[in-house]
Amino acid sequence: MERTASEPLLSCQGVDKYFGALAAVRDMTFDVFPGEALGIGGPNGAGKTTLFDVISGLNPATAGSITFDGRTITRATPDRTCQLGMARTFQLNAGFDTLSARENTLIAAYFGRHNRLVPGMRFDRETQRLADEAMEFVGLDEVAHEATQTLPVYHRKLLMVAGALATQPKMLLMDEPVGGLNPQEIDDVMALVRRLKERGLTIMLIEHVMRFLVRLSDRVLIMHHGEKIFEGSASGLVYDKTVVDVYLGEGSSRRLRHLLEDQPSPDEGAPGAP
Amino acid sequence: MFETGPNWRRDAAFGVVLIAVMIAIPFLGPSRYFIGQLTLFFIWATVVSQWNLVFGVAGIFSLAQMAIFAFGGFATGMMGLYLGISLWFALVLAGVGSILFSIIIGLACLRLRGPYVALLTLAIAQVMYLLIITDTACFYMEGVTCRNFTGGTRGLAKFGDFGFREMLGRREYLKGDYYLSLFLLVLATVFSFAIIRSPLGFAFRALRDNPEYGVSRGLNRFKYQLLVFAMSAFFTGLAGGVFAGHFRVIGANVLSLPLLLFLISMMVVGGLGRAWGPILGAALVMLADEGMKDFVEIRNMGYGALIVAIVVLLPQGAAGGLEQVWEWGRRQVLALWGGTGRLAARRGAAGEERRE
Repeated sequence: MERTASEPLLSCQGVDKYFGALAAVRDMTFDVFPGEALGIGGPNGAGKTTLFDVISGLNPATAGSITFDGRTITRATPDRTCQLGMARTFQLNAGFDTLSARENTLIAAYFGRHNRLVPGMRFDRETQRLADEAMEFVGLDEVAHEATQTLPVYHRKLLMVAGALATQPKMLLMDEPVGGLNPQEIDDVMALVRRLKERGLTIMLIEHVMRFLVRLSDRVLIMHHGEKIFEGSASGLVYDKTVVDVYLGEGSSRRLRHLLEDQPSPDEGAPGAP
Repeated sequence: MFETGPNWRRDAAFGVVLIAVMIAIPFLGPSRYFIGQLTLFFIWATVVSQWNLVFGVAGIFSLAQMAIFAFGGFATGMMGLYLGISLWFALVLAGVGSILFSIIIGLACLRLRGPYVALLTLAIAQVMYLLIITDTACFYMEGVTCRNFTGGTRGLAKFGDFGFREMLGRREYLKGDYYLSLFLLVLATVFSFAIIRSPLGFAFRALRDNPEYGVSRGLNRFKYQLLVFAMSAFFTGLAGGVFAGHFRVIGANVLSLPLLLFLISMMVVGGLGRAWGPILGAALVMLADEGMKDFVEIRNMGYGALIVAIVVLLPQGAAGGLEQVWEWGRRQVLALWGGTGRLAARRGAAGEERRE
């Protein structure tokens, strides 16, 4: 693979995040290469979302360094990391509730691409085009003028993705993109993520739904108690003793093995964790 | 339900009619009292229109607006009195000074969240109030009378006015103040409309709705919240200056709690965060106040009843209620039009049948 030849887009070196004495993220070192999809799994409380908070700048690292696209972003604020090309979606249905879906995306397209020293009097054509494109790409153009707070969960998840895309990111951090969705919707989001990968977007995603995680990720990283316990291919995952013991359990790892070999399995659900 | 659609044609038409009516009123021979009350209405509506930007649109629970108003009023008066400059010039300087004053308050407040902002800003206003009413030191002597720097409990006076008395005479001078404050309200309202409907307004509303998500979409929270503080201060300070020039006196009572609540109730009655809210709210609350003038005993109860009624019946405020009526009316009209549209559709369907 050419991956080894290219520079990583995101690189975390010895990143720690402490809340007082509690280590939420400890000594995380990993790279994400352009065009790659890195899946992050692990039990609840493993520090996955905290890792996203640290990378995106919402909750800066206690120690270590993070570089993105050739710049050090260890101390960068979230609005800055967004403008540098790192867009993020949230586990909960984040959005600007009283605004319409399109306005949500417009704001992202306008403020998320580059720093607006003095904002203009109206959203320019380019912003409108990017917002409409993003809405269409995720399939929300039909509900563009509805109020965000009235949208169903599935649409709200897609709206976060539309907002992220409208900022024209180089990298997308997705925090449980299919949590709380039904199997049909999960398949639809999976197809959407595939289309994003085809566009060359680099993706990091956290997910508990293992079939989602292993099918979409080029590599998988499993966290436990804030530390990395596994990093490698999805197929290696199910044979790794620590991962099976700590996270997957025997049953799920067997089902996943079937899944990876593309054999029909009795049920494809989340392992141990909900 | 939401102020999303580009209703600017409707708003502009409504605004022009309203301005025309207000310009015409003094020519219809109203009483001096009526003119005076309308002048006060313009001033309060100006204050509320800017407060609404901070409180309603940006969702920052700031109670600093009357402190900024007082700053503008006192700064205008003091510059007129102690520097002897024209009140017009003093007014503009006070407006600019108010922006700086507001930025200082903003810097102190914006590290806090939610109700703590309300507490700190209220404390600032109360400290100003106490500093003024406990000011007993002689700043200068007027004959044998000792005058305080801030005017103390007596209030700051003798700084003159905007010169309308000389220009228009004692009988007509009120009209000068009337048009000046109307002009101020028009400017302040156009300004707030422009802000609310611009990307900046969306940034304020986005950070109000979900600050965490907002910063993740490129919004610098500190910058935009400080900006809304600064922006809302200019017209608020000017309103304070016009108030001082109109009454030819300004005192600590503009910092009193009842006045603060009077103005907050205007914002709530009109509809928080709504472009037309401040004007509607100020009008409704002042009318209610007028109606209850003869029933002093039940006046406060009346206020309470009005606010409860609005919050229960029209949670979006009077402006929100009107918006709903407008949308309903528009749908009715569209349905009437749709009648002919449906006929055409039926004809089209018949055509298709024939083709089959």
